[in-house]
Amino acid sequence: MLEVAGLSVLYGKHRALDQADLSVGAGEIVVILGANGAGKSSLLRAVAGLLPAAPGAKVMLSGRPLVGLPAHAIVEAGLALVPEGRAIFGDLTVRENLLLGAFARRARGEETRNRARVLALFPRLAERLGQTARTMSGGEQQMVAIGRALMSAPDLLLLDEPSLGLSPLLCSELFRALERIRGDGISVLLVEQNARKSLAVADRGYLIENGRIVGSGRAADLAGDPAVQRAYLGGR
Amino acid sequence: MLLEVTLSGATLGGMYALVALGLTLQYGVARIMNLSYGELLVAAAFAALWFYTGVAVSPLVGLIVVPPLAFALSFGIYRVLLQPLVRRAKTRDALEVDSILATFGLLFVIQGVMLAIFGGAYFSYSFLAVPLQIAGATVAANRLLALVLAVVIGVGLYLGLTRTRIGTAVRAVAVDPVAAELVAIDVRTASALAFALGGALVAASGVLVSMFLTFNANLGVVFTLKALVVVIMGGVGNLLGALIAGLLLGLVENYVAVFVDPGLTLAATYAIFLIVLLVRPQGILGRASR
Repeated sequence: MLEVAGLSVLYGKHRALDQADLSVGAGEIVVILGANGAGKSSLLRAVAGLLPAAPGAKVMLSGRPLVGLPAHAIVEAGLALVPEGRAIFGDLTVRENLLLGAFARRARGEETRNRARVLALFPRLAERLGQTARTMSGGEQQMVAIGRALMSAPDLLLLDEPSLGLSPLLCSELFRALERIRGDGISVLLVEQNARKSLAVADRGYLIENGRIVGSGRAADLAGDPAVQRAYLGGR
Repeated sequence: MLLEVTLSGATLGGMYALVALGLTLQYGVARIMNLSYGELLVAAAFAALWFYTGVAVSPLVGLIVVPPLAFALSFGIYRVLLQPLVRRAKTRDALEVDSILATFGLLFVIQGVMLAIFGGAYFSYSFLAVPLQIAGATVAANRLLALVLAVVIGVGLYLGLTRTRIGTAVRAVAVDPVAAELVAIDVRTASALAFALGGALVAASGVLVSMFLTFNANLGVVFTLKALVVVIMGGVGNLLGALIAGLLLGLVENYVAVFVDPGLTLAATYAIFLIVLLVRPQGILGRASR
């Protein structure tokens, strides 16, 4: 479904991401693990069209090339990103955020059904439709962000550290929600620092260090790998 | 007397509110600080004048014809002059500075053309200059009509921007352009359209203003400044704030002009501007800066 090959991101001379290759299959949850500044966010932002990819990169979504497309066209192609910091419309209400989520032409036909799905997934949002988004708690804002992304009827959902700043309880709720999203036929690619919980729901994982992908494998294998445990699971 | 002054102040305030709404669209959404903004108002006033005195077409028809022309002109200006600035600007702040310089130049171009054609003389025309009696007060029909039309246009625009998906999308670009891209909004096109819509609004205000005010080719700057004051007073990017602040300013100006001294009008403008800024730096309905 998503095929990424030779993807690099440059900030001036600094290589934030160096020749990354990865794939996400249909119906998969794939997690990218790495420390702060390892290049995780750059990877997602480049795939979503928010950052330019260095020449030579190949990004294909269901056989369609995405490199060079503006971000709004990539949403139309079926990829939705929940960025770090969530980027919800803070001044607008929950209802307006969800309405805008379905701005994509591909989302219009399914809008009523997707809305019902989102509200079933996050019942809290149904109670807060009229609330201004920025007055909500961090966990609720994350629900708005994910709900808005789902409103665009994506084939693939990208999440940048969705568990950041959430309580352990909310965090577990979030990862359960990801499994339900996958159950609706949407593939998920997320980057995380919370290795334990993300590996528990993921099918496969990649390890990223200093802008390079240094390892990959089935989530269960990664969770059991002593090196991974030392680097990402130690102390938690 | 009080009612008369209030109605006439409300008419002026309605013009300010409309003009400020348009600037809110241009500045809040397209992030262009357009110093040539008021020039389009004067150009539209001249267009209405020419329609009425030149070819005997009612300003009401002008109100239907002129704004679409201003929309097209503004769209063209954005695409040709401003989009290159948008493309090269690294940040929105950089774009603001660049746009100030570019539109400052544009101000003199448009003003120069108008001065060349019409000279510096003052113009007005007599349209519906009949007194109406309302609850004992006497109001000129043209003023009342201008007020009613301003309210209709303002409310219509407000509903369009708050109750429709496309309007909500326009506001979304103002709130967060990156997030807007992430919900499939083409921010570049939306910005161009918002800028053009702002131009159409200020042109509509120009036609309305010409119905009851005397104007000349130099009047544009006055309206640009008033629009800026109103936008900042209402809270940058806040539509309802711009409407309220516009009305407030018109009323206060008129009260001061009639009951105190006409020479103090401008002083009153900036006095309430300063008071609002001191008490609520974020504007009447603006939210505290992040």
